[in-house]
Amino acid sequence: MASKLIRIASYQAENQQELSLRQAFDLLESKLRPPFPLIIPSPQEYTQLNQAILYGVLVEPHFAKIHIKHLHAIVVDGYKLFLNLLDGLVNELYGKFVDSVKDQLIWVTREMIDVSAVGIDGLLVSLLRQIVGGDFSGGNLWLCFELVGVFLSKWDCLLEEEPLVLTSALYTFLRLLSDHCRLLRNPELGVLRQLEIEFCVKMLREQFHLCLKIGRDLVRLLQDLVHVPEFRTIWKDLVLNPSEFRTAGFSDISELYCTRTSGRYFLLRITPEMETHLRFLLTHVMLGSQKRYQTWFAKKFLLGPERESLVVDIVRFICCAHHPSNEIIQSNIIPRWAVIGWLLKCCRKNYIEANGKLALFYDWLFFNEKVDNIMNIEPAMLLMVCSLPNYIDFTHSLLEFLLLLVDNYDLDHKDILIRGVSSAFHTVVQKGVVHSLDVLTRCDALSPSIRQRLQKLLLQ
Amino acid sequence: MVWLRDIVPAAQNNINTHFILLDKGKITSDGQNKMCLALAADKTAAVHLQLWGEECDAFEAGDIIRMENGIFSYNRNNLVLRAGKRGKVEKLGEFTMEFVETPNMSEIKWVPDPNNFNKYVQHSVISPHSRIFPPTP
Repeated sequence: MASKLIRIASYQAENQQELSLRQAFDLLESKLRPPFPLIIPSPQEYTQLNQAILYGVLVEPHFAKIHIKHLHAIVVDGYKLFLNLLDGLVNELYGKFVDSVKDQLIWVTREMIDVSAVGIDGLLVSLLRQIVGGDFSGGNLWLCFELVGVFLSKWDCLLEEEPLVLTSALYTFLRLLSDHCRLLRNPELGVLRQLEIEFCVKMLREQFHLCLKIGRDLVRLLQDLVHVPEFRTIWKDLVLNPSEFRTAGFSDISELYCTRTSGRYFLLRITPEMETHLRFLLTHVMLGSQKRYQTWFAKKFLLGPERESLVVDIVRFICCAHHPSNEIIQSNIIPRWAVIGWLLKCCRKNYIEANGKLALFYDWLFFNEKVDNIMNIEPAMLLMVCSLPNYIDFTHSLLEFLLLLVDNYDLDHKDILIRGVSSAFHTVVQKGVVHSLDVLTRCDALSPSIRQRLQKLLLQ
Repeated sequence: MVWLRDIVPAAQNNINTHFILLDKGKITSDGQNKMCLALAADKTAAVHLQLWGEECDAFEAGDIIRMENGIFSYNRNNLVLRAGKRGKVEKLGEFTMEFVETPNMSEIKWVPDPNNFNKYVQHSVISPHSRIFPPTP
């Protein structure tokens, strides 16, 4: 059976959300043209009316304005239900929307920003999450283009009503730019790149106090763009002239280092489907039974020359946005370190593997027991320890990478890095993640020089 | 709805169940019709699934499938679960389903129930896992 909303493949079960919207529309179709009845609807009727109008807006572009006028006339909850329905639809069915529906989706999003609808920040985040990292297909770039256009054209309104969502957009477009700036020879990307750069520079130069809310991962994202001319000056100012940002309370990059990035930023670069699959893997699959799931996941999300870059975002997500309960940790369910180990080994490109390790260790570099969460650093420790003795080279490479980071990541703030990593090591012992660091410092299979450097670090 | 561990070979299309597709074999053709064998499982057991015609291209490993009025019987010497002419299969989703690969209901020797020749009972295990789709190491 054909649908006006989504592409239905053969042998696909009917989708409940699509069904309920369509049924509401069919039921109320005659009441969706003016003159609109002025009877106050019951809660159930209100729900159906919202469903019908939403369906109408998405599948009847010629009547969309009439549908929206109708919505404005009947709304009693600040558009909360309407946006709730739309958000649910985007999260579950965006990938299946027919093209005209996607156009309508952007149109209605702009309409909802204009009326400061309740939940518009959630919808914008859901839309940002539908941009797939490492995907340069036309459809994906189209969404990127439309969304950066929305954020630029609705800047004033969003700044006033939902300033935090601008930080979500900044995180997203900075991250996407590091992919988009790698494929310089692709002409399609030229215009998109310029718009993304325009948005990000505007945020960083005009609303730096907002950008600070992202926390330390802002530095990680900006570092990947240092080679881009527009960001080179920003980076220089960040490192050498913090006062250029004219932001009270910001005098040094270390203030960003000390701010842990909230888990919700890491959701931005994982689609809801990826999130569901990863959380299922880490909650229901036993260690030893993960092989098939991993094959399916890799085939669906990591296949393709540029898709590998997603590994970096997934590692960050697992460390910081998925904290299993004690019950799960003590069970046979596959632990986070094992999934991260598999992901790192999936990397074919050296720079992606390096970025993946940076993502794994990022919270180590600035660890402070008072503000940081041990759950963010636990996977790296366990990955190093549990890779002994069978994958000794892997432990070696991880430890070496960590020590290299301490020495080279920020020469002006080496004291912070030493303190952070040392603190991280001591905390994992103190909290019982491992019994003792002897497992590393007294491991004969690790080179004496690595062990020496580690011991020296631990004493500081 | 029935768990895979509870299915019994019978010439009846009354199997309502759901499972996840673990692996799919090569699509072959007898000239007119496409056929392909697959491994399906739920959290109680696994089974060989026979896909027929357009079903062969519609499903991939990782798909969660609902079967209505399916049939579990001997088809060309293979004991397989299939939709058959009167059944239907539909894709519900992907990935989020637990499964086991043993026992495999197709790798069991079934014999007629001595008390009721119309029914089958388990006699012995031919193989704990599918011999066609062995578990990935």
